[in-house]
Amino acid sequence: MDIFVSGYGVISAIGNNVHETLQSLLDERSGIKKGTQPHTQRFMVGEVPFSNEELSATFNLKTPGSRTTLLGMVAAKEAFHGHDFFSEVRTGLISGTSVGGMDVSEQEYRRFLVDGVCDLNRFSHHSSGTSTEEIAKELGHFEFVNTISTACSSAANAIMMGARMIRKGTLDRVIVGGTDSLTSFTISGFRSLMIFDEEWCRPFDASRKGLNLGEGAGYLVLESEHSLRKTHKKPLAKLTGWSNASDAFHQTASSPEGHGAVLSMSKALKVSGLTADKIDYINAHGTATPNNDLTESVAFKTVFETKVPPFSSTKAYTGHTLAACGGIEAVISILSINESVLFPNLNHTDCIAETGLLPIKRCRQNSDVTHVMSNSFGFGGNNSTLVFSKI
Amino acid sequence: MSELKEKLKAQIIEQLNLDYLTVAEINDDAPLFGEEGLGLDSIDALEFIVLLDNHYGIKIDDPAGAREVFHSVNSLAAFIESKAQ
Amino acid sequence: MKLVYNAYLGPKGGFVNGERKCVVDFSVKQHLKSVYEALKLDYPKFHKMDVLSKLLILTEEMTQDFKPTDVGLDDNLSLIMANHSSSALTDQRFIESYTVQQNPSPSLFVYTLPNIALGELSIRRKWFGENSFFICEQFDAEFFIRQCRHAFLLGNRYTLCAWIEADVRGNEECFLFLVTDSDEEKLEELLIHILNTYRNE
Repeated sequence: MDIFVSGYGVISAIGNNVHETLQSLLDERSGIKKGTQPHTQRFMVGEVPFSNEELSATFNLKTPGSRTTLLGMVAAKEAFHGHDFFSEVRTGLISGTSVGGMDVSEQEYRRFLVDGVCDLNRFSHHSSGTSTEEIAKELGHFEFVNTISTACSSAANAIMMGARMIRKGTLDRVIVGGTDSLTSFTISGFRSLMIFDEEWCRPFDASRKGLNLGEGAGYLVLESEHSLRKTHKKPLAKLTGWSNASDAFHQTASSPEGHGAVLSMSKALKVSGLTADKIDYINAHGTATPNNDLTESVAFKTVFETKVPPFSSTKAYTGHTLAACGGIEAVISILSINESVLFPNLNHTDCIAETGLLPIKRCRQNSDVTHVMSNSFGFGGNNSTLVFSKI
Repeated sequence: MSELKEKLKAQIIEQLNLDYLTVAEINDDAPLFGEEGLGLDSIDALEFIVLLDNHYGIKIDDPAGAREVFHSVNSLAAFIESKAQ
Repeated sequence: MKLVYNAYLGPKGGFVNGERKCVVDFSVKQHLKSVYEALKLDYPKFHKMDVLSKLLILTEEMTQDFKPTDVGLDDNLSLIMANHSSSALTDQRFIESYTVQQNPSPSLFVYTLPNIALGELSIRRKWFGENSFFICEQFDAEFFIRQCRHAFLLGNRYTLCAWIEADVRGNEECFLFLVTDSDEEKLEELLIHILNTYRNE
C-alpha cells in the first residue's frame, strides 16, 4: 500500500512556513545567529524570531501552551491547512518532542528562585505528552494521539509509526512530525558535553567542533490512497521507505563503524524496494559534532560503497532542532524532490580526512531528484532513516 | 595520601552520580574507565575535569591527554599531590 | 500473539511469571542497589545509570532463565517501551546542577531522555533491532499489542515491551514482557490482570 504525503508544514530559524523555508534554502541564507533571549544571547542558535505571545497572535493560536507546543501548532496547522475532518477518515496525530514544556517550567522555576513565588498551574504544560495533546486540541478531534520521545530521531519515528498505522489499517490519515524549542536545559546540557560550537557550525567539515542548537517544528500529513479519494487532497510525495535500528554502542556517541546508521539506511532501502543507486540525495543527520559526521560518513561508504549520492546537512541553516529535525528535514526532502534542487551543506571548507567525502557545496537547481533519503540519529543509539519519492 | 584518596573517592561518587556506591567499594588501584573498571567513559572524563578544577584548582586543557591521570584513584591522587608541590 | 514471559520490579518486590525473585524495600534510598546485589549482577556500568535504566536492567536481568536462546539474533527483536513521566527525575537533578550548583553535569544530561534506558539495554545485550519509546497517560495494553503487531508485520520474531515509570512523587516500577508472534491468545486483558496483580500483591 502506498503512503502519500498530502500536507506539510514547517517553522524554524529559516522561515515561518514552507514557502519562506524554500526561499532561504535557495538563497543559501542561514538562520543561525547570536540569540536574542536571556538564555540564548551568548550563543549561536537557530531561533524562531517570535516570542510566545507573538506566535499565538501572529498565527492565530487559540490554545495556550509552552513554546514547544506553540511551534508545533504553527507547523501542524500549516500541514493540515485545507484538510477537513470526516467521520469515515480515521485521523491521528503522532508528535515527537524531547523538550516538551521545559521552557515554561524553566521560567517558573527561575521566578521561584528569585522571587520565591511561581504559578504552579503553568507546570501543567511540562509533560511531553501534554504538548501533543495541546496541538491536537488546537487542530480538532483525533481518533489517536500519541507522543514519541527518542531524542533526535523522535519526529522521524513518528513519521514511521504513522505510515505503519496506515498500512495496518488502524488509521486512514495521520499528522506526523515533531517539535522542540530552545531552552537553558538543552543549551547547558550540550555545552557540558563539549559538543557545542560557539561559532557557526560546520557539518562534515574537517575542522568541525560541534553543533548549534535550533528550534522549530515540522509535520507531514500522511494518507492512504483510499483516504485520498475521500479527502480529495493532491499528494505532494510518497513516503516509500522507513527504518529504525539500534547502534548499541554508547548513550550518546555513535560506534566508529556507524553500525546503527548502516542498519537503518540499509533497511529503509529494503522497505522502499529501491537499490542504493536510486537515491538522488541524502539529507544527512550531519550535526557537525566530530563523532556524528565521521561515523555517518563511514556509514555512507558502507551502504553506498564508491557511489555515495550527493548529500548535505541542512543543520547549518536551521541549527540542530533536536526532536523536530526529522520532521523539518522531511519537509526539506520533499521540497528537494518537487523543486528539483539539491540543497547545500553550508559553511564547508575541507573534507573529513578519514573519508574524503565532499558534500553539496552550492545549491544545485534543475537537478533530477526522484528519491531522497533522510537520516535522523538520536541519543541512545536510536537511528532512523526515511525515504521519500516523487509522485 | 590515604586521606586524599578517601576524599577523592567520595568526590568521584558525588560528581559522577554513582548513586549509592560507597567509598569502600572503590579500590585504589582499580581501573576507573573501560569494561574492567567502573565502566566510565569520555562523558565521565568531562566530570573529572570539573572535579579537579572545583575541588583542587587544577585546570586540564587537554582531556584526551589526561586519560592516564584518570586511570585510577592512585594515579589521580598522585597527580593532585604533584600539582600541590 | 503469545506471552513468552513477564517480569515486574516494584514496591512489592521482583517477580518473574508470578514468582518472587527478590524482596525490595523501596523506602530505602539504595533499594535498586540492593536488588543489584541480590541478583548478584556484575555490571559496573550500572552504578552511573539513571533510575529508568537501572529499573530496566534489573528487571531484564531477572528474566535470563526464561529467555529463548534466539532472542535478538539477526535483529529479530523489537523493543517497545513507554512511560508517563519521561525522564522527569533525572531532568530535575540536571536542572539543579546548572541552576543551583552552577555546574551543568554532562553525566546527568546524558540521561535526560527516556529512551537512553533502551540504549543501555541494547548495549548490554548487543541488540541492534528497532526500538522506540512512547509517552502515554498510563499503561495501555492495547497500545503495546498494536505496536507488537506492527513489529511482527515487519518480520520481527519477538517484541520486548516495558512500562518503566519513575515519577517525582517517588513511584517506581518496571513491567517487562516478551511477546512472540503466533495465532494464539488475545493478550490485552491478560497483561492488565498480571500488572494489577503485581501492583497489589
